[in-house]
Amino acid sequence: MEDEQAMREVRDGAVGKLELLFDRHHAGVLRYFQYLTSDRTLSEDLAQEVFFRILKYRHTYQPEGSFRAWLYQVARHVYADQLGKRKPEVAMPEEVREISGAALPPDREFQKKQETLILRRALAAMPGEKREVLIMSRFLELKYEEIAAVLECEVGTVKQRVYRAMRDLSDRFFALSGERAS
Amino acid sequence: MNCERIREQIPEALAGRLNKADREALVEHLEGCAGCRTEVAELNAVWRGLETVKAGMDAAPDPEGTPGAKVRFQEMLAAYQAGMAAVQPAVPPVVNKPRAAWFPTQPVWRFAMAAGLLLAGILCGRFLPQTGAGGNPEIAQLRSQVENLHQMVALSMLQQQSPSARMRGVTYTEKIAQPDPQVLDALLQAVNHDANVNVRLSAVDALQKFATGPEVALAMVNSIPEQESPLVQIALIDMLVQLDARGAAPGLARISKDMKMDEMVRQRAAWALHKMEVQG
Repeated sequence: MEDEQAMREVRDGAVGKLELLFDRHHAGVLRYFQYLTSDRTLSEDLAQEVFFRILKYRHTYQPEGSFRAWLYQVARHVYADQLGKRKPEVAMPEEVREISGAALPPDREFQKKQETLILRRALAAMPGEKREVLIMSRFLELKYEEIAAVLECEVGTVKQRVYRAMRDLSDRFFALSGERAS
Repeated sequence: MNCERIREQIPEALAGRLNKADREALVEHLEGCAGCRTEVAELNAVWRGLETVKAGMDAAPDPEGTPGAKVRFQEMLAAYQAGMAAVQPAVPPVVNKPRAAWFPTQPVWRFAMAAGLLLAGILCGRFLPQTGAGGNPEIAQLRSQVENLHQMVALSMLQQQSPSARMRGVTYTEKIAQPDPQVLDALLQAVNHDANVNVRLSAVDALQKFATGPEVALAMVNSIPEQESPLVQIALIDMLVQLDARGAAPGLARISKDMKMDEMVRQRAAWALHKMEVQG
């Protein structure tokens, strides 16, 4: 059964069908919050709240659009409410702090690991709206049309935002690593 | 095509989502533009790096585990279904049973049978002794005991530590037929102080049944500035409109002008005032 059909049935009263949608999308929603907050426990609470709100506001579901887009719209609102409650905090992975100033052995594997950590640090330091569009595009692999529906903007705007977010991340990454691609 | 338009297509190209014509135009442009070639090289390095970040995040240890999340979800779903069952009387399914052999087939006989049954009903009502609730103190006492039990269960659940148990307590208040000051207090407490936004939202919905006096509307409007979640604030405003609580209008007017409030909440308060004026 397709997501949209399942959600139509949830909307019309067969709320048990939400379990199917939970099984399919909980991991994605959890990842979305983890990328945004770097806090596993908080992300779990927020993901639960997304599914609760889907139940509560099931009558507002419009089956014309993609369910995934609607789901992440709800997730965005949940995150926005969370930001309203407390100042956004971006947790810095411990190992990122540890590598500062460390000597680099000429080992490729270690170098790759260090690049990944720097990239995570650069990602965490990005403004929220840029990080969010990258999370949707790169990590959740949402289509541009879906991102446009979530952000309530044109597909062309999404294209620009993804590029600018990539550009910003690239600048931060190369500034932190002290080198540029050749 | 200019460099800016070309560069906007780089993430799509790296993701392999660019269509053939755009991909060919991109390649053609890159052959003659060193600046865009450098841009592709840099973004490509970052793009590939993000794949490693993603793999690392996906493989991160899972302290609670998905089963824990599933159990929480199922508990919430069960509470919601129980709440729905409590507010919606069960409708018996329509079954096409074969007609009994004694049932008349001719319309005229069916009419005669219906008239006979009606007459029998009237005679029974006239001559049988009265057994209404008002006339039977035992039934009235039993009803009162059941009502008290409902109130006790709802109040006890509203004090539980687990949010899902408190949620069940809120939905359980739907079973209570008569507005009770203790239950009303408990619901207002939940709206104002419960740590879980879902419980607060459900408590707002449940208040509808008990919000009979102007003091409840006042308590609701006073609660709006205290709420952290705009969603709960909007739910409270909507409930005041639904209850047509004109007494809350001055409070709503203050909220609509309070720049410290969320913009959506201010707009909703202004909308509520307008709605009340129109209804009036």
